[in-house]
Amino acid sequence: MRIVICVKEVLDPDAVDNYVLHGKLEIGDDGKTLTQTSIPRLMNAYDEQAIEAALRFRDNGVECTLDVVCVGADPTAILRQAAAMGADEITTVPVENGSVDGHAVAKILAAYVQSKGGADLILCGRQASDDDQGVVPALLGELLDMPVLTIARDVQLEGDRVRVTRVTPEGDEIVEASCPAIVTISNELGTPRYPTTMRTMKARRLQPDQATLESLSLSADDVRPVVAMSKQYVSSVQGNCEFIDGATADDQASALIAKLRAERVIE
Amino acid sequence: MSNALVFCSFDAGRDGIPAGAEEVLTLARKIAAARGVDLDWLVVGAKPAAVDEIAARHGVAHVDQIDDAKLAEASPDLLVAALAGYVSQHSPGLLMMTQTFDARLIAPRLAGRVGAGVVMNVVDLEDTGGGVKATSTAYGGDTRVEYDIAGAAVVGVVADPLLPEPASSSSSPESRSVAVDLGGVDERIQVVQKASTEGPRLEDAQIIVAGGRGLQESENYALVERLAEALGGMAGASRPIVDDGWTDTAHQVGLTGKITRPVLYLAAGISGASQHMVGCTAAKTLVAINTDPDAAIFKYAQYGIVGDCLEVLPALTKAVKGG
Ligand SMILES: Cc1cc2nc3c(=O)[nH]c(=O)nc-3n(C[C@H](O)[C@H](O)[C@H](O)COP(=O)(O)OP(=O)(O)OC[C@H]3O[C@@H](n4cnc5c(N)ncnc54)[C@H](O)[C@@H]3O)c2cc1C
Ligand SMILES: Nc1ncnc2c1ncn2[C@@H]1O[C@H](COP(=O)(O)O)[C@@H](O)[C@H]1O
Repeated sequence: MRIVICVKEVLDPDAVDNYVLHGKLEIGDDGKTLTQTSIPRLMNAYDEQAIEAALRFRDNGVECTLDVVCVGADPTAILRQAAAMGADEITTVPVENGSVDGHAVAKILAAYVQSKGGADLILCGRQASDDDQGVVPALLGELLDMPVLTIARDVQLEGDRVRVTRVTPEGDEIVEASCPAIVTISNELGTPRYPTTMRTMKARRLQPDQATLESLSLSADDVRPVVAMSKQYVSSVQGNCEFIDGATADDQASALIAKLRAERVIE
Repeated sequence: MSNALVFCSFDAGRDGIPAGAEEVLTLARKIAAARGVDLDWLVVGAKPAAVDEIAARHGVAHVDQIDDAKLAEASPDLLVAALAGYVSQHSPGLLMMTQTFDARLIAPRLAGRVGAGVVMNVVDLEDTGGGVKATSTAYGGDTRVEYDIAGAAVVGVVADPLLPEPASSSSSPESRSVAVDLGGVDERIQVVQKASTEGPRLEDAQIIVAGGRGLQESENYALVERLAEALGGMAGASRPIVDDGWTDTAHQVGLTGKITRPVLYLAAGISGASQHMVGCTAAKTLVAINTDPDAAIFKYAQYGIVGDCLEVLPALTKAVKGG
């Protein structure tokens, strides 16, 4: 069976967090692009877990082709990482950074999947850790007319059925659908495997296949953003913490509890 | 397009009225007023008792309801079909949802189905003359992004503590029953086993004591649970310690966990990464215990204790019990 895994390249969210914490995040002249070249570009962590989910099918004896695709400026490094993890095919659809929105990405991914004669299963991350939107898989599901099973901690294939354990606020829920289907993977799936040095060395020479808007029969109009990002800025945090002093932990504790009681925060 | 602006809820079976609904209505009314259009509330499925009263307080013009036996188990294909049917009858210019767990899937599916733009994690909205500018969080709350959508839009709104309390401007909403033909819609997703956490939920807790990696060892999570119990609250956790199995996912607070809105949130040994803070900055009072005086969490906290949580947590439990 053919499994397509959609991966996005993002700026390392921990590095962004660190720059913000130290008041050093830089935003470019366009008022929206994060410009620090020192922030590493990584595969979105949930997408790495989506690859891991697919590799586990293979561990369990499911015969499958793993086709990893990325819409982005130059995702060669993360696609090589995908190959080192065990992807059979890696493909990039080049677009300029920041030039497409989720709607356009979904259209490109849908056209890509169709150009490959469809897929039995499409795996995505639950959300991209840059924009946190989590809309591409649902939009893709609409375009390809497939059910979308979200926030999975476990995915099992049983014949042409996919069974997914979802992490819901009420606890785990188990759902099923017939393939073809789209599943979005959450971090609860667990740590993705680390590629062996041998595989990493081999993947280093790989050049990803390239699909283009033209080869996918998409016009510039087709991928014009519906949702246009116009501005990005650092969120402000108040920062007026009152520190509770005391010679011992007991002193600090009593002082805090007294304050919270005085303010009727607690009884 | 001077079509009504619609706030939509469909959680009757699960949540009743979703937490934060009034903040969304506050935002919705602002846009409806700017456009000079009606604000309507669409309830899909059973209508929770409080809807009419809340709608009246927020100046809602119509409370629409799609009630169909098939919607009893609100499942995605049926919900999206019901909403899309409503959109084709009423063509709302803007459809807003509280960003519940289910809405994270329903909003973008609906947008795709009806050809509208979709934005999630919205904390503020502004009318741009028919279109809308949505402000959303990104990078787990580290940054905010403004998006412009020229045409019809579907947005998922997260409760923002900065939003004002809803002002009163009462109306007497007219109830309308909306018929959508769901006869031909088959649900493609079958529930094999329902989620079954019984009892209180972190989202509803008034007091939360949360622990993070600063607790050092799995056994020490009990210190958090003991203080939570002494305060009559619930225990929360940061993601790394949930990942390591110190407690289960139901306790995870943050971007990929629970969005909580307690009166008191006490964070012990939590650094204050944006992805965690998204889940607790709506707390009325935030207290942090951390050995590092420069920890990011102190930027958010009203009260801070610089100290070892392994000592401070038991001391707090003692102080609470000691009266
Ligand atoms: C896309 C994405 C989504 C995420 N979603 C979430 C989410 O939903 N929820 C979440 O929590 N995280 C989430 N994270 C992870 C988040 O970025 C942080 O890594 C995480 O919150 C850190 O957890 P922590 O504060 O427990 O651990 P650390 O960052 O390791 O902090 C431990 C803290 O404890 C302090 N400390 C150490 N010893 C003691 C002691 N004895 N007493 C007191 N303090 C001590 C340290 O000074 C430090 O500040 C997400 C990350 C990404 C990229
Ligand atoms: N540019 C992209 N290329 C490939 N897949 C993507 C891209 N953007 C988003 N996705 C997929 O859609 C998921 C959700 O992304 P988003 O809707 O941007 O939060 C990601 O985890 C990826 O699996």
